[in-house]
Amino acid sequence: MKNQSGALAKRSLALLLAIAVAVTAILGWRLGNNTVVKPPEEIEDYLFWQAKDLTEFKLTAANNKTLALNDLKGKWSFIFFGYTHCPDVCPVTLGVLGQAFKLLEKNPASYQEIQGIFISVDPKRDTPERLKEYASFFNKKFTGVTGDTAQLDAFARQMGALYTIHSKDPQNPGDNYLVSHNSTIFLVDPQGRLYGRFPPPQAPQEIAEVFIKIRTFYNERIKKQWVLF
Amino acid sequence: MGFILKILIALMLGFSALSASAEGVNVQIKDPWVLAAPPNVKVLAAYLEIINNGGKPRILINVSSPAFDQVGIHRSVMHENMAHMEHLKELTIPPHASAVLKPGGLHFMLMNAKKPLQIGDQVPMTLTFRDGEKIAITAIVRSGKMEDMEDHQHMDHSGHKNH
Repeated sequence: MKNQSGALAKRSLALLLAIAVAVTAILGWRLGNNTVVKPPEEIEDYLFWQAKDLTEFKLTAANNKTLALNDLKGKWSFIFFGYTHCPDVCPVTLGVLGQAFKLLEKNPASYQEIQGIFISVDPKRDTPERLKEYASFFNKKFTGVTGDTAQLDAFARQMGALYTIHSKDPQNPGDNYLVSHNSTIFLVDPQGRLYGRFPPPQAPQEIAEVFIKIRTFYNERIKKQWVLF
Repeated sequence: MGFILKILIALMLGFSALSASAEGVNVQIKDPWVLAAPPNVKVLAAYLEIINNGGKPRILINVSSPAFDQVGIHRSVMHENMAHMEHLKELTIPPHASAVLKPGGLHFMLMNAKKPLQIGDQVPMTLTFRDGEKIAITAIVRSGKMEDMEDHQHMDHSGHKNH
């Protein structure tokens, strides 16, 4: 009798456990489905598969100011690497990004959250003061920064942005050496994470439209996370 | 008054005839312009179209401008999102073809501006071809427009030769 009821209790316990596991699995699967938000197709190619946390860095801005990780937080940052002795790709890309910012003025919620950062990988010729004047020519929301080789290398590595400073062309006297650089516009989210990228060739309309969609997607995702936890 | 006007018109016609002949019989230059840049920039780029209407290839060997120390023939090349610049010794325009210099591709690299240039400024330039012909042109400084952009999908490399 005792044995029998014991076996029954064991069996019902096992059944209960099985039900609990099944319920948890189904619940977990359903909740999981809600948390893994797939980005809309039209912005998928512009986003990194997983947003990447940036680690602390230090770059130099005009008036003895620095640019650090904290300066990226709370804003969407459009980051472009280049140098001011670059006559073609740099002014063209910054011109395109400047026009995209102009288009975003029509969307005040987006516009107030954006900033442009031009990083010169040619600190020998580009002083922070020179970069400030250079960057602000393309848009008033642009700043220009640089750093020493170690600072630039560390930050460029985090962003996955290669650059090479070429030796002087013996046939080209003077100060005119060339620099190869990544001409992607990188997008860092308000949490300081590398979130997206606009590969070349870019167009103002494309950047503005895609950014609005990225921002909407990002904000919806943040809201969903709050509901869950 | 009418007489003076007539003289002026005659002079203007004469000048335009002269400038037309300065363009050469076979080579035509279309829309030369310089991309406006921040005032502290020393290196700029000029763009234009060189049309060869003749039956022989034309080879551009030198470009100069009194507004700059030096002018080079350059090409921006994009490889895996990396922007590189190539220096071209000369630029060959095959018969009945044209070379289009536009942002993101072929351009004249204008080095060491003697004074800052502003939108609307005129930049005189001289193009020298291998056969000795020289063509004087005037490029206008302006901001870039969408239609200026190099279309990387359909880049036409005919007529561009890198030595």
